[in-house]
Amino acid sequence: MNQIFSNIFNWVNHRLPIVNTFERHLSKHPVPKKVNFWYLFGALASVTLIIQIVSGIWLIMPYENTEEGAFASVEYIMRDVDYGWVIRYMHTTGASLFFAVVYLHMFRGLLYGSYQKPRELVWIFGCTIYLAMMAEGFLGYVLPYGQMSYWGAQVIISLFGAIPYVGESLELWVRGDYYISGITVSRFFALHVVALPLVLIALVFLHLVALHEVGAGNPEGVDIEEHLDEDGIPLDSVPFFPYKVLNALVGIGVFMTVFAIIMFFFPEGGGYFIEMANFEEANPLVTPEHIAPVWYYAPYYTMLRAVPDPLGGLIVMGSAVAIFFVVPWLDRSNVASIRYKGIYSKIALGLFAISFITLGYLGTVGVTEIRKTVSLICTVLYFAFFLLMPIYTKLETTKEVPNRL
Amino acid sequence: MKNKLKFILSTKTSFVLISLCILTSLSLDAAEGGPCKDYGECDEFNYSLNNKESLQRGASTFLNYCYGCHSLQYSRWGRVAADLNIPEELFFDNLVFDNAVKSGDLMKGAMSKEDSADWFGVAPPDLTLVTRSKGDDWVYTYLRAYYEDSSKQYGVNNLVYPGTAMPNVLVDLQGNQKLVCKNIPLIGKNGGEKRDDDGKTLTKEKCGYLEVVDGEGLLSKEEFDSLIYDLTNFLVYVGEPAKAERERIGWYVIFFFVIFTALSSLLYREYQKDYH
Amino acid sequence: MQEKDKTRRKVLIGLTSAVGLSGIPFAATPFIAAWNPSAKAKASGASVKIDVSKMRYGQQIQVAWRKQPVFIVRHTSESLQNLDLSLSKLADPSSDAIDEPYKNMSPTRSQSNEYSVLTGVCTHLGCSPKYYPEVEPKSWDASWSGGFFCPCHGSMFDIVGRVYKGVPAPTNLVVPPHFFEGNILTIGEDGGVA
Repeated sequence: MNQIFSNIFNWVNHRLPIVNTFERHLSKHPVPKKVNFWYLFGALASVTLIIQIVSGIWLIMPYENTEEGAFASVEYIMRDVDYGWVIRYMHTTGASLFFAVVYLHMFRGLLYGSYQKPRELVWIFGCTIYLAMMAEGFLGYVLPYGQMSYWGAQVIISLFGAIPYVGESLELWVRGDYYISGITVSRFFALHVVALPLVLIALVFLHLVALHEVGAGNPEGVDIEEHLDEDGIPLDSVPFFPYKVLNALVGIGVFMTVFAIIMFFFPEGGGYFIEMANFEEANPLVTPEHIAPVWYYAPYYTMLRAVPDPLGGLIVMGSAVAIFFVVPWLDRSNVASIRYKGIYSKIALGLFAISFITLGYLGTVGVTEIRKTVSLICTVLYFAFFLLMPIYTKLETTKEVPNRL
Repeated sequence: MKNKLKFILSTKTSFVLISLCILTSLSLDAAEGGPCKDYGECDEFNYSLNNKESLQRGASTFLNYCYGCHSLQYSRWGRVAADLNIPEELFFDNLVFDNAVKSGDLMKGAMSKEDSADWFGVAPPDLTLVTRSKGDDWVYTYLRAYYEDSSKQYGVNNLVYPGTAMPNVLVDLQGNQKLVCKNIPLIGKNGGEKRDDDGKTLTKEKCGYLEVVDGEGLLSKEEFDSLIYDLTNFLVYVGEPAKAERERIGWYVIFFFVIFTALSSLLYREYQKDYH
Repeated sequence: MQEKDKTRRKVLIGLTSAVGLSGIPFAATPFIAAWNPSAKAKASGASVKIDVSKMRYGQQIQVAWRKQPVFIVRHTSESLQNLDLSLSKLADPSSDAIDEPYKNMSPTRSQSNEYSVLTGVCTHLGCSPKYYPEVEPKSWDASWSGGFFCPCHGSMFDIVGRVYKGVPAPTNLVVPPHFFEGNILTIGEDGGVA
C-alpha cells in the first residue's frame, strides 16, 4: 500500500515540484532565530484572511444582493439559518481584527525598518494590500444595506464628485444610478465577493514570494545572510518548521481567544465594529445623526473633515495613504531598527503613533472647535513623521548594530 | 537633564500615558447631547435573557399593547413561543389574535403600512431591531418618559424623543405623567447642604422632573417600571434571539482557546531549547 | 537530547494536537448546520391544513404543498364502485411498484374511505393531469370510467390515480403523507399512522 502511494507521489513530484517548494518555502525556510511578538502579525493576517474567505463564502449563500432583499436577508441569516449568526459575527469580527492585525503589522515595519533594502518591494506589495483592504472593507459594509451602509456609501462616493472636471460623471458612473440603489449594491457585491478577494489573494502571494526571496528581517536589523554555515544557511536562523510554526501557533491561540471574546460577547464592539445605525434599514430620506465610518477608517475620516475644501480633503486623505508607499526612500538612516536609531526617530515614531490613535478617536465622534484644532495638529504631525524623515534620519546619531543575533 | 528628557520621551510608558491624557481630555469635550435628549442620561437597563418569565410577560405586553401598530417583521411566531418556553398551543390560543397565522409565519404586523402612514403621518416603525439600533437603555427610558403636553397632537410629549408621533399607549397603566418643578436643596462646595441663618435648608426651584399624577394608573410606579423592564427585555430578545445561546457557547470556545494557547506555549518553549 | 526531553516533547505534541484537532468538529458545525433547511424553508415546506367538509361529492380541488399541486377528490359511492371497471386496463392496480404509504387501507389509496389525496404531477414528465370523473366515452378512451387524463402526452389514470397500461407515464400518481382529523385534512404529515 505504502509502495503504491509512494510511486504515485513520486510520479506527481517529478512533474510538479511539491517537495522542493514545500521545503524551500515552508519546512526548511530559514527564519531569523530571535524575533519578538511584533513578528507574529503577518501570520495572524493570513489566518484572518482565510477566516474572512470561508465565512464570506457561507454568507453569500443566503444573502440577497438586491435593494429590497439585502437587509432582510442579513436578519434571515441571523435568525433562520442554523448557526447563521456564528458565521455573520465571524465575518464582522474578522473584518475589524483584520485591520487591527494589519495596522500592528505595518507598525512593526516602521519599528524595525522592514521596508529597507532589499525589502522595498515586500513593503510596496504590503501597502497595495492595505489599499485593497480599505476598498474591500468599504464595499463589504455597504452590503447589509443599513442606514450606515447607505449613508457611508453616499459620503465616500461623493468624494469622487470632488475631483475637478470628471467628478460628477465619475460619481454617476460608480453608482450606476442617479442615487445609491440596488444597482450600486449588486455591483459592490461582485467587487467585494470576487474581484477584490482575487486581487488580495494575488497580492498576498506576491508579498510572500517577494519576502521569501530576500528573507525576513529581525528586531535588531541584523543581516543574517552575512554569516552562513557550510551549507549556505544563515547561522542565526532556524528552519520554519517546527520552530516558527510553533511560535505562530501560540500567537494564533492568543489571537483566537481575543477573537472569541469579541465574537461571542462584544460582536458589535460597543458600536465600533457594527455601528448601531446599521440595524435600521437604509432610508434615503432620513440622515443619521452622526455619519461615522467604521473605526479602521476613522483616522483618514478625521483628516478629510479637518480640511474645509472637499477636493483638498480628498487630496490630503489620499496622500496620507499614498505616502506609506515611499517610506523606503524617505528613511535615509544607516540602521534599520528603532533600537539603534537616534532620539529623533524615536520621538517621531512615538508622535506618529499618538497622532494616528488620536486621529482615529476623533473620527468616531462629533466635531467641536477644540477637536478641529487637535485634528489639524495631529494631521500635521502625521505628515511630518514622513516628510521630515529624510532629514531627521540623516541628522541623528545612531548606535552600532551588532553583527550577530 | 537632556538625557532624562530623552529617556522620558522615548519610553513606551510615556507614550501610553501621553495618548491616554489626550484621549481623555478630548472625550470630555462632548459635542452633542446624549441619545436620551431632554431626559438627560438614559436610565441603565440590564437584560436578563435567561429569565423566561420576564420574557413571557414582556411578550404578552407587546402582543397586547404594541403589536396592533408595530410589526416584528423578522421574527417568527413559533420561534418566539419555543424560545420563551411557552407551549405552542397556549401561545396561539392566548396571544395570537389572527386565526390565519401559522407557526412558521413572520410577525408581519396587524396594520398595513399605507394605512398607518395615512393615520399617523408616519408608519409606526417595525420594532424587531429597535434595541440594537437605539440601545436597550434608550427603549427602557423612552417608554417611561411620556408627559402631558397640551400643545401636541395626542396631548403628550416624550422627553427622550421630543415631538414623537406616537401616542402614550400605556397611559392607563402608568397614569398621566406631568413635568413638574421641585425645590431642590442647594449643595455647597464641601458636599453639604447649604443652610440659612435659622438652620433651614436653602432650596432652588428646578423643573423638568417627571411625576405621575397622584392616584392615576392601574399600576404603581414600581409595577409599571417592572412591566417596562419585561417589555424591554423581550425586545432585547427579539432583537437577537441567538444572544443567550451566543453568550453560553462563548464561554466554552474561550476556554478551549485558552487551553490550546497554554499547551502550544509549553510546546513552543520546549522546542525553543534547541536554539536558546 | 535527553530521554526525558524526548518524552516531554512527544507528550506535548500529542496533547496539543489532540486538543487542536478536537476543536475541528465544533468549528465545522456552524458551516455544516447552515446548510440545513432554514426556518424559512421549514415554514414554506410545512404541512397544509384544509377543511374538506364543504366539498361536493365527485368534486376535485387542488391545493399547493411544497410548491406542488395536490389533488383532493371526494368520491361518490358510484365512482368507488366503478373502480373495478378499469382494473384490467391498469398497469399497477395494487401500487406495488411505488412507495405506497397507506397500502391496503382503502380503495381510495388514502386512510379515508371517502377522499383521495394525490400529488397532481404526472409521473411521465410532470404536467398536471386533468380530472374527468364522468363515465362516458372520451376521445382518449372509448370505455372511459372516470379518472385523470394528462393533456401533455396522453397518459391516463383512474379516479384514484392508478396509471393505465400502455401510456407514457410509468407509475401511479404519488400519495403524499396526510391524515384526517374530523373534517380537517393535513397534507405533509402522517399523523402517526403509517
